[in-house]
Amino acid sequence: MKRLRIEELLQRNVWDVGKKPHIEINMDACGSCESKLCVKLCPAGCYTVVDGKVLFSYEGCLECGTCRTVCPQGAVKWSYPRSGKGVYYRFT
Amino acid sequence: MIKSNTTFPTKFDAIVVGAGPAGAASAYVLSKKGFKVLLVDRSREAGSKELYGGRIYLGPLKEVWPDLDKKAPIHRWIKKERASIMGKDGRIITIEYNAGRRTSFTAYLPELVRWMVSKAEEEGTIFVDEVVVDELLTSDGKVVGIRSGPDEIRSDVVIDAEGVNRLLLEKLGLVSGPRPEELALGIKEVLKVRKNEINAQFNVDDDEGVAWILMGDITLGIPGGGFIYTFNETISIGIVIHMANAIRAAEAGAINHSFELVENLRLHPYFNKLWKSSDVIEYGAHLTIEDGLSFMPKRLVYPGLLIVGDAAGLILNTGYTVRGVDFAVYSGKLAAEAVEKALSEKEGATEENLKVYEDMVRKSFMYNELKRHRASKELMKDPEFFTKISRIPLKFFSELYEIDKEVPTAYEAFKNACRSEDSGPLSLMFKLWGMVKKL
Ligand SMILES: Cc1cc2nc3c(=O)[nH]c(=O)nc-3n(C[C@H](O)[C@H](O)[C@H](O)COP(=O)(O)OP(=O)(O)OC[C@H]3O[C@@H](n4cnc5c(N)ncnc54)[C@H](O)[C@@H]3O)c2cc1C
Ligand code: SF4
Repeated sequence: MKRLRIEELLQRNVWDVGKKPHIEINMDACGSCESKLCVKLCPAGCYTVVDGKVLFSYEGCLECGTCRTVCPQGAVKWSYPRSGKGVYYRFT
Repeated sequence: MIKSNTTFPTKFDAIVVGAGPAGAASAYVLSKKGFKVLLVDRSREAGSKELYGGRIYLGPLKEVWPDLDKKAPIHRWIKKERASIMGKDGRIITIEYNAGRRTSFTAYLPELVRWMVSKAEEEGTIFVDEVVVDELLTSDGKVVGIRSGPDEIRSDVVIDAEGVNRLLLEKLGLVSGPRPEELALGIKEVLKVRKNEINAQFNVDDDEGVAWILMGDITLGIPGGGFIYTFNETISIGIVIHMANAIRAAEAGAINHSFELVENLRLHPYFNKLWKSSDVIEYGAHLTIEDGLSFMPKRLVYPGLLIVGDAAGLILNTGYTVRGVDFAVYSGKLAAEAVEKALSEKEGATEENLKVYEDMVRKSFMYNELKRHRASKELMKDPEFFTKISRIPLKFFSELYEIDKEVPTAYEAFKNACRSEDSGPLSLMFKLWGMVKKL
């Protein structure tokens, strides 16, 4: 058995990713953050650090609500994908 | 999508927001009573945004659907309850209880919710999926309907069954934003395993299942736990971590990526033989509520509005038992009964008239359970208790069983176990007893 990367785990799901992001990050507030809790706690790895800055991609979002709960800057403008887009759970 | 052949009324008696177990139950009960009900959900198909652990208690569900145990898509009836305390060094204590009667079962929540919604539709509920409700409409301080994009639909009463992320209630200013102290993050994998392999590995028959909770090192000591549930041809494994403590652990550098925890469980040498030839077929995450009573909105009814299920904080999470789905269904049923009463009065769905729902909830087993387990909630969130409760018994058994020459007496082993935690046996016994009483 080998450890799966987060990309590999997310690939197991059925998706219909929308064209427009359903979550927006206020980059001004985000830029001044030290703790970067989103990077550590988002279960989909949607937040990554590149050159010291947080990058967000909504494509693998599991719509859980963790980021909006933990962001100390209140920088996450969170909502749901429209028209049934996003993750489609079958066996959960 | 709205099917083109349905005639779509312009006004409903009730609109239910969110087709989870709570929303589906309230829509079903109201429709059965003859009310015109609209049930909306943001998912592509009912249930497809649902994720939970895996085990549901039958009792409260049967009060809504008496034939649920025969007709619903149930996977296995829980026969074996297991609990494991896990140490850092591979030491593990596992206890197993073989149940005498069938009180709970495993089911895929997407499947079960779809069944519940189909029952509501049979009774006349109009169900519309792919609808994100953006706002509860108000007029003169009363909720009068919903808005989704440019569309507004009106009703005498709205039932909010939106679940743990209460965007709509927050927008109305009825609850504050999410608080890490009250919430927990659940992350889950579904493993495909052949049916006969599950039966052999867990020593169960075709329709018998296992509910297994894990404590201790599986969450790197973060208060919370792990779970394993068996289904027909899959095994669900997952971890739940208390959000406020997860934040502390992340700040302290103790956790780098939450998703690694569930992979740790899948690969754990004590468990991985149970699903040797498995394949991960689904991966997901969902928030849950750690402390229902403090998550509960100040009021459960407002003019034109009732709040049910997770959104109302009606979920019991003791650490060894999670009762969310059955509480959600039961609260949906109570809300429907309250609506029937209120709408039969001349003034309709005023706050006064809807108040019966709050009274029913307060008098119900749900509220009672939440109150009874309140002290244990505090305890389960305490990292020190969490560490102690796992370390002492592990040390005790390692003293007792891992021997070179002399076998210690049980008392000696206990004394040494206590010493390892810097307390005398007696003071520790008192402490532990104090803790156990709260459980
Ligand atoms: C990891 C984990 C493990 C759990 N384990 C168990 C367990 O083993 N047993 C158990 O009984 N309970 C368990 N629970 C709890 C259980 O899942 C919940 O208590 C239960 O699902 C609550 O039902 P609900 O109908 O109130 O909300 P939900 O099931 O969350 O349903 C809410 C619905 O509303 C929809 N919705 C939300 N907002 C909108 C909007 N604005 N517009 C349109 N639609 C919207 C959502 O898509 C969703 O379908 C667990 C939870 C988690 C997270
Ligand atoms: S909602 Fe959950 S999965 Fe989506 S970005 Fe936020 S933390 Fe990650």
